[in-house]
Amino acid sequence: MASRPDFNAVGKNQPRLDGFAKLSGRSEFADDIHLPGMLRGRIVRAQIPHGRIVNIDTSAAARVPGVKSIVTADDKPNPIIGMYQPLLNHTVRFIGQEIAAVAATDDDAAFEAAALIRVEYEPLPGVLDLEKALLPDAPQLHAKAPGNLAWEANEVFDDPDAVFADSELIVDGAYSSNPSHNCYAEFHVCVADFSRADKLTVWSPTQSAVLFQKSLATAFGLTEGNVRMMTLNTGGAFTGRGMARPHHFIASLLSRKARRPVKLRSYSDEEFLMGRAGGRALYRFRTGVMRDGRIRALDADLLVDAGAYLETQMLFPRITAPFFHLLYKVDAIRYRARLVYTNNLPYEWHHGGGIAQMHFGWGQHLDQVARDLRMDPVEFHLKNAVEKGHITRKGATFASCGLKECIQKAAKRAGWKRKYGKLPPNKGIGIAIGAMASGGKGMYKHDTSAAFIKVGEDGTVSLLTGIPDMGQGSHTTMAIIAAEVLGIEPPDVTIIAGDTDVTPFDLGAFAQRGTFTTGNAVKAAAEDARSQLVKVAANRFDCKPGRVVFRARQVYPKGQPERAMPFKQLVYDTLHSREGRAVMGRGFYNSPKEMGSMAYSFGAQIAEVTVDPETGFVRVDRMIVAHDLGRAINPRVVEGQIDGQVFSGMSQVLYEEVLMDDGQPLNPSRLEYKLPRAFEVPEVEHILVETNDPFGPFGAKEVGEGPIVCTVPAIANAVAMALGEQIREMPISPWRVLRAVSRLQDLADDDEL
Amino acid sequence: MSPKRIIRLTVNGDRHEIAVGATETLNQVIRDGLRLTGTKRGCTSGSCGVCTVNDERGRAILSCITLAVECDGRAITTVEGVERDGKLHPLQQAFLELGAVQCGVCTPGLIMSAMGLLNTNPHPDQRAIDEALSGAICRCTGHIKVKKAVAHAIQQIAAKTAGAESNGQPA
Repeated sequence: MASRPDFNAVGKNQPRLDGFAKLSGRSEFADDIHLPGMLRGRIVRAQIPHGRIVNIDTSAAARVPGVKSIVTADDKPNPIIGMYQPLLNHTVRFIGQEIAAVAATDDDAAFEAAALIRVEYEPLPGVLDLEKALLPDAPQLHAKAPGNLAWEANEVFDDPDAVFADSELIVDGAYSSNPSHNCYAEFHVCVADFSRADKLTVWSPTQSAVLFQKSLATAFGLTEGNVRMMTLNTGGAFTGRGMARPHHFIASLLSRKARRPVKLRSYSDEEFLMGRAGGRALYRFRTGVMRDGRIRALDADLLVDAGAYLETQMLFPRITAPFFHLLYKVDAIRYRARLVYTNNLPYEWHHGGGIAQMHFGWGQHLDQVARDLRMDPVEFHLKNAVEKGHITRKGATFASCGLKECIQKAAKRAGWKRKYGKLPPNKGIGIAIGAMASGGKGMYKHDTSAAFIKVGEDGTVSLLTGIPDMGQGSHTTMAIIAAEVLGIEPPDVTIIAGDTDVTPFDLGAFAQRGTFTTGNAVKAAAEDARSQLVKVAANRFDCKPGRVVFRARQVYPKGQPERAMPFKQLVYDTLHSREGRAVMGRGFYNSPKEMGSMAYSFGAQIAEVTVDPETGFVRVDRMIVAHDLGRAINPRVVEGQIDGQVFSGMSQVLYEEVLMDDGQPLNPSRLEYKLPRAFEVPEVEHILVETNDPFGPFGAKEVGEGPIVCTVPAIANAVAMALGEQIREMPISPWRVLRAVSRLQDLADDDEL
Repeated sequence: MSPKRIIRLTVNGDRHEIAVGATETLNQVIRDGLRLTGTKRGCTSGSCGVCTVNDERGRAILSCITLAVECDGRAITTVEGVERDGKLHPLQQAFLELGAVQCGVCTPGLIMSAMGLLNTNPHPDQRAIDEALSGAICRCTGHIKVKKAVAHAIQQIAAKTAGAESNGQPA
């Protein structure tokens, strides 16, 4: 690893620039918006999983004092949302489906009116089970999807059958995961102002203002410029807030009809009807290896419940397929993913975007391969791990790669050799490795982020960015990047964000593109601003432009800090000159690669757990996280990102499951749907591996989703070691552990007899 | 609509007379009536903690399951009342410096839960800290840096108090 450059702002712990506002109750979220004349909305939801609506009677609701607008499927035009879903439909395909909505002067009136809307159904047989939906006699949900197959993706590299035949050992494994819920701190909420027919303004948490803007514009026949997205702060997203959802369109419809702004938010268990993450999924893996541990062939077959319509799950094959290429050097690969329609709600994804969930199976399967080879999994991973310069079968190239370093450092820190296979009963240690792309094309022809920098006469800097901050700290990261280029301090930078009327184009905060893509755009904008200042400075110092140094709010010729002038003086002089130049920097970044990412992060994690055989409860004692993030722009924020993913990964693998009964969630609240509380979280040890990626801003790659991909299987592998058997269904909740314990106990008893 | 009743409520030292309905909650009064939106509205059923405020005895209470009519004559502190003259309370400062803030929705509730602990137990151990924070759900931080920040702030406040006492100064 190259020695660390002497940075001005990068790599120093910078407290969040929005921290004061967030800590003192000043920061605004969509639910904090009050507009003059604003109405409160309420949605009427389907109570059966499949059927037709015969009649909707809104007459009693309309008579409730304070009711200003009611919308139903009879309202035209009734837009298509997401990929195929009609907004308000006469056909019901899931419990909780939006049927009608009201807006009234207060919540009480809206609730009362919604309860008075009478809906008559003609029920139809439904199918709620993923595998039953594929049976020949299953009810067919969509005319255009015979056999309820929503999507199928196949990929084959080389000749898998021949390579499997050449392999010395073949290992099979089947795993599954269950529906979950993101439990964002900020509940689903949208304020829409469509009082004027030619301008729709929407306040709502989002990962991508421009994608919301596009779909709202399309739905209502407006141009993008006539839809103004106000992102404000986003209270958590975790891959679930990438697309506009029914409540955004319904709030807009209600507002258009009433000619007044409308606030629509979920209450209590409605949160679990408005969105759930990751329908049930089955993962089958097959790996062919040589006796020396070399992986030859991989076969993955994934079957996922998409729910009644395809929403963001449509991206599942595109997102998961590359992962079989990223970690190991492999000769042949076969991949198949199928998405299946059922009468469950259209699923989104939980933290980890389907990848972490798939790695529950994939990471355990690889552990099983190592065990069947009688090989230490650390040795097995090291033997097969990719390295810098590797080109995958799909054409991804690794300009930086710290995978082996992550494995080695994590194993050393954990004392792996002393512990693996040598721990007392009910204790386990497990390792898993992972990789993640840092942005890249795939959705559009471009993957663009843009940035704009305004340098004030007094040397203050305003940075305009379209990236939303959902808590990941991007705004502070962007301020650090701009400050590094201009040689000022991050608090000198004011962030202007979250208003599409003002901020430049940015696809958004998903696919781990924030630090890498928007970071590169901000760097380019700051460099543009600096180049305008450099000319004046070079004249002043009588040196070449390339010799001008910007550092610690000073500007000086290289090697001559005693000649320094303050940054703000240079800005002032640049304006107060014959040229009268106002300094404004602009920049954008778009991956030059046609598909895939310019940079990939890598990681390894080791979990230590204790299983209580009496209660089935798994306690995570220690988590060691090694992550090759290229460069830590803001180390404490990086740690926070890692901590959050360890928490979420632990939560998903051990706790979280929406229990379903005929399409109805049985535990739809934060009391019944369990997440770890403060006393259940482990100590997390961070090992930041800085490989200084040549394409990343100051060498940085992603760290927002790579770690969770390792957390989930690392904990599962530790549990398997503690129990002596893998739990193959996620989550590993106490009753699944107890079932395994009692089965193992029965087996032991049988042996004794 | 049920008839309204006037309650007298002090919030962050400001006295208010407010007309409230029978089903109105303290959370609604604070947010919708007084427009103090630092106190968040989450599950509205007492299970997520984002609506936490302190009562006149400094205890943490959940404003979403406290009826406004019960609050007649009482004094409430919200997150807006913790920071003074642009200076963060040591607890808030510790959250900022140790990276215990991410998306910020649960942050006011966490601050008020921890303030409730500080107000009622000046020397809490880790178990007491964990317990005080256990009513709050924070999806972003995983509580890891939150726990550290609270412990750090308590240590700092205790050291400052001890220093003031040894100097013969009132705490």
